[in-house]
Amino acid sequence: MTDSEKAVAAAPNVTDSDLYVSGIPHGRLAEIRRTPGLAWHPYGDDGFWAVCRHSDVKTVSKNSDTFSSAIGHTNLWDLEADALEARRSLIDTDAPDHTRLRRLIAASFTPKNIKRWEQTVRDITVELLDEFAATGSGDWVDMVAAPLPIKVILNMLGVPLEDADYLVELSNYLVEGTGEQQSIPPDAFGNTTELRLLPFNSPASHALFEYGAKLAEQRRRDPRDDLVTALVQAEDAGDRLGPSEFRNLFHLLVFAGNETTRTALSHGAMALANFSDQWNRVLTNPDLVPSATEEILRWATPVMHMRRTARTATELAGTAIEAGQKVVMWYSSANFDETVFADPHQFDAGRSDNRHFAFGGGGPHFCLGAFLARLEVTVLLEEMIKRRMVLRQDGEPVRAPSNFVHGVLSVQMSTVEVSPQ
Amino acid sequence: MTDDDMTDDGSVRIVVDGTRCIGAGQCEMLAPDHFRVDDDSALAEFVGQDSLPITEAETLIDRCPSGALSIAPSD
Repeated sequence: MTDSEKAVAAAPNVTDSDLYVSGIPHGRLAEIRRTPGLAWHPYGDDGFWAVCRHSDVKTVSKNSDTFSSAIGHTNLWDLEADALEARRSLIDTDAPDHTRLRRLIAASFTPKNIKRWEQTVRDITVELLDEFAATGSGDWVDMVAAPLPIKVILNMLGVPLEDADYLVELSNYLVEGTGEQQSIPPDAFGNTTELRLLPFNSPASHALFEYGAKLAEQRRRDPRDDLVTALVQAEDAGDRLGPSEFRNLFHLLVFAGNETTRTALSHGAMALANFSDQWNRVLTNPDLVPSATEEILRWATPVMHMRRTARTATELAGTAIEAGQKVVMWYSSANFDETVFADPHQFDAGRSDNRHFAFGGGGPHFCLGAFLARLEVTVLLEEMIKRRMVLRQDGEPVRAPSNFVHGVLSVQMSTVEVSPQ
Repeated sequence: MTDDDMTDDGSVRIVVDGTRCIGAGQCEMLAPDHFRVDDDSALAEFVGQDSLPITEAETLIDRCPSGALSIAPSD
């Protein structure tokens, strides 16, 4: 494509990390949605097609034959071939590899199998909520939103309780790795691997790989009713899950089970505090918990985009796409698309037919942990209702300077009303 | 989809393509009376009738992430 063609529909910048310190750049994304066709967004030496309308995101997500996850990378920047191979997880594969890998773990995440963890989720939630209520105020992220999902996923994986703090620490370094600054040296945790070969360029990934391998070895000798055992048995059942696949999957589960739900629980609490009329609706009518859960997921949009790469030349929204070009689905835009969501900037606990893309645009990479995330949000709401807990947000949150995860680093909250249990 | 695929009462039969299904469970969530994902194989299967009203069937097909659902051609 020529430069003049690119200039026709140049997108306003939505990748500058600093923008995100004050939240999703909704105005810029709305401008891209209004622009006919697709807008070209400059990025590095090249750029990408910024796909912002709900309907176009869905088209890209569902057409995985044309819009590949296995080429280049699913983040904005390309990885060198050896780095991509070393870091490849479920996220960076196409069918049939994706179907095979996904099926190895999908059974653990079916609605019924997730339901088995409900009591665990509730016990963890109750403990954290009661502690927060007893303290009366504090950093919601640190006290509730972060520990809740990580404790749940570590339980599911079968990580011994005494190692939980270590895994939380590693996971926090990984979150840091999604930004631009890392506080640990390249050789931290005895790492000798080039950082570019590690997920999030983080030495904490090396430590997580080592930990996962050790745990896998233990479960091979002493199988338990947990996710690592399920993965190891899948691995041992033939050549279905290779060592690199195992470690990247373990890594993905620890990270995805931690960061994304943390974000949903953070934005969710802020929404319940700031739209108090909506929380009152739920308090007086608990039947609204399912729709409030979906609205929290839409509102939070924990992962703001995913990238695909055109396998062949194609066309979308009347715009020609060349083979090899990057195509980026902006969920943070689609979830606020006014043609799909009435009054999208209103948090509506009773919103019906909420076709949000918090779990992706509806294609084969649909969030594996969707039912787990839903369960965690639902149980939190249920336990808050039981306690008649009303939250107040004290000041602005500290947001992650990231165009990828809609992270909240900290937010001060207080309980203004709570009944003892 | 032709008129021939529809039964007299306006319902259609759905089929699951086992080679595409990834067990995401959207069908079970949206139509628990018809579908569930098997806890071992992680494949969608029918628990009840495999015929549904056409509008419901179209929603299910649209919301299936892997494209594993389709309307069965009539016999």
